[in-house]
Amino acid sequence: MRISIQHLTKIFPSRNKGGAAVHAVEDMCIEIPSGKLVGLLGPSGCGKSTTLFMLSGLESPTSGKIIFDDQDVTTLAAEKRGIGLVFQNYALYPHMTVQENIRFPLDNMRIKKEEGNARALDAARLVQIEDLMARKPSELSGGQQQRVAIARALVKMPNVLLLDEPLSNLDARLRLQTREEIKRIQRETGITTVFVTHDQEEAMSICDIMVVMKLGVVQQIGAPQEIYDDPNNLFVANFLGTPPINIFKGKIEGGKVYVGGEVVSATEYEDQEVYVGIRPEGYIYDPDGVLTLKVDHIEVMGRDKSVVATHESSTKPTVRCIIDSDVVLPPDAAELKFNIKPYKLFLFNAETEERLR
Amino acid sequence: MKENKKDVGSASGTPPKQHNKFVQYFINLGARIRGWFVDKWTAIKDFFVGIKTYKQRKLEAELVTNDGPQLTKGEKFRRGLKSQSGWLFVAPALILMLVFTFWPILAAFINAFKQNYNSLSDTYQGIGFENFVRVIKGDTGTGGASFNQCLVNTLLFTLISVPLSTLLALLISVALNSIKAVQKAYQTILFLPYLTNSLAMGAVFATFFTIIGTEKNIETVGLVNNVLGWFGLAPVEWIKASSPVWTLGSIKIPWAKYIVVIVYEVWSGLPFKILILFSALQSINKQYYDAAKVDGASRWTTLWRITAPMIMPQISYLLVTGIMGGMKQYTAIVGIFGEQMGTNYDMGTVVGYIYRYVDNGQYGYAFAGSILLFLIIMVITWINNKITKKHTTYR
Repeated sequence: MRISIQHLTKIFPSRNKGGAAVHAVEDMCIEIPSGKLVGLLGPSGCGKSTTLFMLSGLESPTSGKIIFDDQDVTTLAAEKRGIGLVFQNYALYPHMTVQENIRFPLDNMRIKKEEGNARALDAARLVQIEDLMARKPSELSGGQQQRVAIARALVKMPNVLLLDEPLSNLDARLRLQTREEIKRIQRETGITTVFVTHDQEEAMSICDIMVVMKLGVVQQIGAPQEIYDDPNNLFVANFLGTPPINIFKGKIEGGKVYVGGEVVSATEYEDQEVYVGIRPEGYIYDPDGVLTLKVDHIEVMGRDKSVVATHESSTKPTVRCIIDSDVVLPPDAAELKFNIKPYKLFLFNAETEERLR
Repeated sequence: MKENKKDVGSASGTPPKQHNKFVQYFINLGARIRGWFVDKWTAIKDFFVGIKTYKQRKLEAELVTNDGPQLTKGEKFRRGLKSQSGWLFVAPALILMLVFTFWPILAAFINAFKQNYNSLSDTYQGIGFENFVRVIKGDTGTGGASFNQCLVNTLLFTLISVPLSTLLALLISVALNSIKAVQKAYQTILFLPYLTNSLAMGAVFATFFTIIGTEKNIETVGLVNNVLGWFGLAPVEWIKASSPVWTLGSIKIPWAKYIVVIVYEVWSGLPFKILILFSALQSINKQYYDAAKVDGASRWTTLWRITAPMIMPQISYLLVTGIMGGMKQYTAIVGIFGEQMGTNYDMGTVVGYIYRYVDNGQYGYAFAGSILLFLIIMVITWINNKITKKHTTYR
């Protein structure tokens, strides 16, 4: 199912009189093609969960439209939208067995018990929990509960699957496994899926389309690699990537980009104060390089090594450069010089923090 | 156990009566319990009075480490007392409970088996089940409703009013939970009956239902009959002797009076139940309701398949305590129907029955009745627990 979000806005009135209303989502416009896996990404409080709940129909938008295929569902009740929703804490009914939990949506559709059981079993097979059907949720591990919640959302064959922070309650190892699982299930079923996360790595790894949000405002929409390689603004550049991008205060003067006293790159933009963002993997060691960094220490990771260094213009305490492990660095050097890959260097206006384009 | 145990034989000078096994068991039990108390008392006295020298303590300590404790029960307890001085804090309450709760229970159990027990001279004629047999057969030699009649009354009042008021309380608390405006005000109004004295409430109920005046010159038919009159129903005598009755063998069911009692009990039971269920409802995570909504559950389905099971622990608590309380009903009946509990005790409850025999000095029947009540409550509670446990998931 194709989802079209048009000028969606949600304003929560202030709890106490005279307080400022909270603009959870502001003027959001997204087109989601059918069968895609979409990640809403942003830090806490950026309105991504609110967006998801508006898609599900549990929250009603202040203004704007939500359109599924060609049907305007903005005011349609949650149960009539044909969506499956997986809650952050799963919200499995504790007094029902796994089977009853999965079958519950079907019971409400007045589907016969045998058919309901058969479909519940199919859904359980899809998430590989078919041998846990007789258990109660309290007898399951977090990962298993997660699967039950997904099965319950999938059993009624929804047009849209919505997942609210699906991986946040799982431990690190399970998180890796489950995110691949979600990708697999989404591929197998072909259901348009929207999920919410604050973990950029998670979003980058499984999304077809990523929506980066900040304070209720969409910052950038696109494929993960696209956004990573071509961030719209300082926030997006900063939010994506581990280790994060290095930001330096710099300036453009006469077609040259200065960081500290050094010219790191040439540019055609006019003279101004800028932030210079350089991805950690954008450094090439060169004794005659353009940027000099004071080395703090070097971490050897096996596959590559990272130079942890400092620079007076850096906005962060340390600068991290990832270089190939077979590059030989002079031992005990206090300073190293680097060249910079031009496509890993981004310039942002110092005031608006927008990318210079 | 009572020390000055007397029986009719020793009172008239003949040698003490040989007890049968059943009685001997209780006498032995009594001796053992007495021994336990003597032991503890010695230890407590020792603890406060006996001041040991350092040498003695050291000697004692060596005794424990070298040969293991070769101590009398009293000494062991005294040592325990030192390490577990918590007992001393519990002691005041424990002593009061022993005197005013456990001893009376024990005494009731013992005296229930004494035939023709006379409380003034503390004499009786033999031991056995005669009291029980007479109570159950209704052969107590006094007029008024039989034990069976009282038991049927009590069971019907309880088994109708408790589930009904729990159900009503559930529906009301769900409704209360779903409104936002004036929720507090409703809460207060609903809770008011809880703060009202049950005798006073009974009196008010009686006036609602009573027809005032003589048969020929009725002054008013009462509030309830007036309301029934709007629907074209003839006035019913709810309270007095002429109230309509169904007869089933030896059991009489004055249904009009029953309705008064059940309405009263449902109404007076509501506030506490609403209080418990309402707070239980508020503790349910809202997310379950969101999930149910997405799953397409109707309000009715949500109530029965989500809400009710979620607060099953509280519901089962209310059922168990409600039934226990209902089986002990007394004051409400007196409040509505007066001290005679209707006409010649026909609305009597089991506790009313017991109280009647305490009042006229036939303690044996009262004891037997109270033990029967105890057993009945125990069985009902056991069944109740079996049923509710099956449907209860503790979160």
